[in-house]
Amino acid sequence: MNALDVDYMLGLMPILLGYLPLTLQMAAAGMVLALILACLMAVVRVLAIPGLNAFTLLFISFFRGTPLLVQLFLFYYGLPQLLSVLTQINGITATIMGLTLHFSAYMAESIRAAIVGVDRSQTDAALSIGMTRGQTMRRIVLPQATRVAVPTLMNYFIDMIKATSLAFTLGVTELMGATQKEAAGSFLYFEAFISVALIYWGVVELLAWLQRRLETRLNRAYQR
Amino acid sequence: MRHMLSAAMLAVSLGLAGQAMAQDDDQTLKVGMSGGYFPFTFVEQDTLKGFEVDVMNAVAERLGVEVEYITANFSGLFGMLESGRIDTIANQITITDERQKKYAFTQPYVYDGAQVVVKRGNEGIEGVEDLRGKTVAVNLGSNYEQLLRELPYSDEIDIRTYESNIEQDTALGRVDAFVMDRVSASQVIKEKPLPLALAGKPFSDIRNALPFRDDQAGRELRDRVDRALAELKEDGTLSEISQEWFGSDITQP
Amino acid sequence: MIEIQGLVKRFNDATILDGIDLTIEQGEIIVVIGPSGTGKSTLLRCVNFLEQPNAGRIRIGDLDVDVARASKKEILALRRRTAFVFQNYALFANKTALENVAEGLIVVNGWKKARAHARARELLARVGLGDKVDAYPASLSGGQQQRVGIARAMAAQAEVILFDEPTSSLDPEWVEEVLGVMKQLARERQTMLVVTHEMSFARDVADRVIFMSDGRIVEQGPPSQLFSAPEDERTRSFLRKVLATQEAL
Repeated sequence: MNALDVDYMLGLMPILLGYLPLTLQMAAAGMVLALILACLMAVVRVLAIPGLNAFTLLFISFFRGTPLLVQLFLFYYGLPQLLSVLTQINGITATIMGLTLHFSAYMAESIRAAIVGVDRSQTDAALSIGMTRGQTMRRIVLPQATRVAVPTLMNYFIDMIKATSLAFTLGVTELMGATQKEAAGSFLYFEAFISVALIYWGVVELLAWLQRRLETRLNRAYQR
Repeated sequence: MRHMLSAAMLAVSLGLAGQAMAQDDDQTLKVGMSGGYFPFTFVEQDTLKGFEVDVMNAVAERLGVEVEYITANFSGLFGMLESGRIDTIANQITITDERQKKYAFTQPYVYDGAQVVVKRGNEGIEGVEDLRGKTVAVNLGSNYEQLLRELPYSDEIDIRTYESNIEQDTALGRVDAFVMDRVSASQVIKEKPLPLALAGKPFSDIRNALPFRDDQAGRELRDRVDRALAELKEDGTLSEISQEWFGSDITQP
Repeated sequence: MIEIQGLVKRFNDATILDGIDLTIEQGEIIVVIGPSGTGKSTLLRCVNFLEQPNAGRIRIGDLDVDVARASKKEILALRRRTAFVFQNYALFANKTALENVAEGLIVVNGWKKARAHARARELLARVGLGDKVDAYPASLSGGQQQRVGIARAMAAQAEVILFDEPTSSLDPEWVEEVLGVMKQLARERQTMLVVTHEMSFARDVADRVIFMSDGRIVEQGPPSQLFSAPEDERTRSFLRKVLATQEAL
């Protein structure tokens, strides 16, 4: 093998970076929607709302129990054959949908555990001074559950960023798809994949740094 | 929270809007390809290029329509075709019995053969008959896996299917050989810095064409494209494109 | 005046409260004693609706609630007229001492933040924590946390403060400071219903001592009478055991 073609990598990096926004947008949209869905499911689970609880369990079971790629194929290729309107769903939307449903199933359980982990007597205390259940959830339980859940949720977000690479299978040229195609053109696979690895790594490190700052803030109340 | 929600909604609706614009346009021929199959379809400096691109541009020009290229992992292409997101696949799709049952093909526009490729210096494999007991890579969804399985001694071949990078893994010695079409294999060896060599002669006739959905609209579009291909063969445009990329005419039997 | 009539609480098949009748006068300090598992804490939790009682009436001032048919509104109203001090303090871990005390004033009473904080400061000063307003619960000792808990209950300006074994979780060194705050409240004639094992507190502070066993009020009276001349054999046996241990300490 030849030595590493650094010039090629330097030329490739800006091109690949051009695809980073799409990757991050898909992950961010997926994360926000997944968080909302996961919170709803976690509350359904914590309050054991009849009917919805069983449905949530089935949902979580399916979306945790099958690979993301399979789910993406089902949304993007399978459903449109049953319901032709769904052909309108493009690859980006299907990817965001897939990420949302898949990761919300995981996140729901983390959030539920975090909520359940908040000392039950604090709920009693809030109710005892006349706060409603909703106020108690919002002002006492969720802020504390957030602190517990943040590290796990950040890990899911990082996972989600990397999972966007599956979008190329749905015809979305994101960071990984762009890399694969450029590598096919140059046959400098090693250089291309090092370049893309550095980009992913840099993004994740930046997020990890933000996470540490966030955790320091959230932990302020718990220092002895 | 409200801001995050509206941001997400915006992202989703942007996606939907983008799709709506791509759809509902009869004047655009939507062509799917992997973008990862040198020299047929590949990217250099963010630009999609290759033999397939030139051929399809010529076809579109002849039909008087716009052409839109949609790149996706090879494993996603047929799903996109079946779900109506693209009209055809220009990715050296070989005509097989199975595929012919499902899709409406044009006439072949590339005639080729299946070629065994090994790491340079590997004297143990001089052709398809030497693949007994060896590990052989093929691209996922390509028909070379099928060709290998039809060999009488296919039980003794360890066939590995790859999503991409079969050239790389052969050069690294992770597999003993890979099988792909002769034309692009020669091209890879000639142009790219990988230590690979052709092993023996091609072992099967291959005819590649454009598949369309096998419904009324698909067949009509197929007929129009088929006529365009015939004209491009007739007036020498196809052989010109072939000469440019391969130094030989692979568009004739 | 607080009137509890025929209060019943069952968990599955077990009857924890078996028809409790109790009237508490304004400014009265009542201490409930009795063996563990006899429903003392459940009584307090039912008055506060942290447990849903099965039958009975609770009347606080002009609010008269049939507990089996209590609406959400009635439950909230009842809770706003009672305050609770928990055995394990149950402070909001994500809030400072000041915020713990001010929370109810802001969220429940709709006070402006500045006014609520001023009031919370005043209350914390009264329980001797004027210098700890900005401390989070995790950085406070057990005794300090419980004093914040009492200040939080005081802030509610409830008709009655319910104390559920407020010193049981404390290391011995912190017990006195908490009892001290409670005694001060008693001197100010804050109506209190206290479940405790601190017999000295009952003897010194209570207007009335109630002995509970097996979900019922067995006997009650002023501490002098109940401690020196208990009528029921169960009371005598309980007091013998408890006083023996506490005097040994």
